[in-house]
Amino acid sequence: MRERLGIRAKRYALAIDTRRCIDCQACVVACKAENDVPPGRFRNRVKAETKGEFPYLSASFEPEQCHHCASPSCVRVCPTGASYQRTDGLVLVDGDDCIGCGYCIIACPYDARFFNEQTRIVDKCTMCAHRVDAGRPPACVETCPTRVRTFGDLEAKDGELHVLLATRRSQFKKHESGNGPQIYYLL
Amino acid sequence: MEDPRWGILIVFYLFFGGLSAGLFFVSALATYLQENGSPAYPRIAQFGALLAPWPVAIGCVLLVFDLGHWYRFYKLFVTVEWHSPMSIGAWLLAGFSLITLAAFWSWLPQGFVAGLVARLPRRLRFLRVIDQPWRERLRRPLAMTGFPFSVGVGIYTGVLLGAVQARPFWNTNLVAQLFLFSALSTGCAALILILSLRGSGLEVGEAKLLYSVDITIIVLELFIVLPYVIHGKLSPLSVQQALELIMGGPYTFHFWGIFFILGLLLPLCLELWEMRPVLLNRSAPHPTRALASVSAILVILGGFVLRYVFVYAGQMSSFE
Repeated sequence: MRERLGIRAKRYALAIDTRRCIDCQACVVACKAENDVPPGRFRNRVKAETKGEFPYLSASFEPEQCHHCASPSCVRVCPTGASYQRTDGLVLVDGDDCIGCGYCIIACPYDARFFNEQTRIVDKCTMCAHRVDAGRPPACVETCPTRVRTFGDLEAKDGELHVLLATRRSQFKKHESGNGPQIYYLL
Repeated sequence: MEDPRWGILIVFYLFFGGLSAGLFFVSALATYLQENGSPAYPRIAQFGALLAPWPVAIGCVLLVFDLGHWYRFYKLFVTVEWHSPMSIGAWLLAGFSLITLAAFWSWLPQGFVAGLVARLPRRLRFLRVIDQPWRERLRRPLAMTGFPFSVGVGIYTGVLLGAVQARPFWNTNLVAQLFLFSALSTGCAALILILSLRGSGLEVGEAKLLYSVDITIIVLELFIVLPYVIHGKLSPLSVQQALELIMGGPYTFHFWGIFFILGLLLPLCLELWEMRPVLLNRSAPHPTRALASVSAILVILGGFVLRYVFVYAGQMSSFE
């Protein structure tokens, strides 16, 4: 309806240039500091893989977190409506309505959600919604020293994210799960 | 997933929920079948109705204590999320529990209720209302209303797992039916076990009904398990990899050794053996207590192990 009327909603998304990542884990630390994530638990992580043998070898680093999918299975299975998606695409959990059943944790193909033993409810990346609403980028994006991450609004046609996705090839992870992931991994 | 979010409490809940659904289904069937205006199988109908509410009640308690905040379970009942199998299941469970409790009350023996009411202390005298002469007339309507609810509770435990597309081990349209038939089979087996251990054991008519129902359901289960495996082998890579968990992976023995052989094939053979006079000479079967209880225990064990395998193996499967 909104599209038909010509009103553009926001659609936040993230592009990740894995070739720039050096596995310094600053994004992980920034996230934990910003969002008070309990010890031993992580809202984002860097998947490191090495292959080959010296002298022919390579390393690849892939940052991972919630993909804020277009049709998120975690939101669909939530029995109380605590997991929800904002009109700007961010997938969040209402802490007051979450009963801690864990169904969404199991339903996420990216294993992006976890059970927070301190709050006894489900925890996940919020894309730093509190910062985004104040006009600032998520903590992981701001802190990255090699500019791996580009955060933005897909509907802003002249935005940095839009230009990047128009000029670079990208791919999704586990696209076949049908969730419509919204983290663009640049090739 | 690194560590499974759903553990043994959920396995027990899925098992108990299915057991209750099966008990009620068979009891309702026995209530429905009449001979000269009275139930043809009164013992099956009564025992099923008296037992049905309790396993699911235990299961629900386990379910509530598996939550992060147990006291927030009421939030399930202030909303209907039609797209969430768990929300639909919670409402089904509530309806099923009320119907099974009403059926329990309608099947309580007359003497028992009268004795209970007579012994009530003065303050609880108002509970005399439970002693109603029209209780018995509710049995058939309750059985009829309860049929869809028992099938619903039995199948929903499978839908809960099957509707998760992130877990290829679950995400097939066969899991729901497998759980339903396994639920009905465990309920049937529980009745075989209890009736064969009580008094003079299973009567000929009872044995014919219970064994016929159980054999039918077990055969239907075979028609689901084998396509599940064959179809899985012919599916996309993620499903093939998920299937490795029971085809050489950590749950191979649980699935094939305990569930398939001990919990399906062996009881099927034992029950066919018990029914062989009916099948071969059309004469009455002579149910033996030992065989009946062994086959029933095996079916119940198989039902439990099936849920154990699905809960744990399913959470290990992913798109990696």
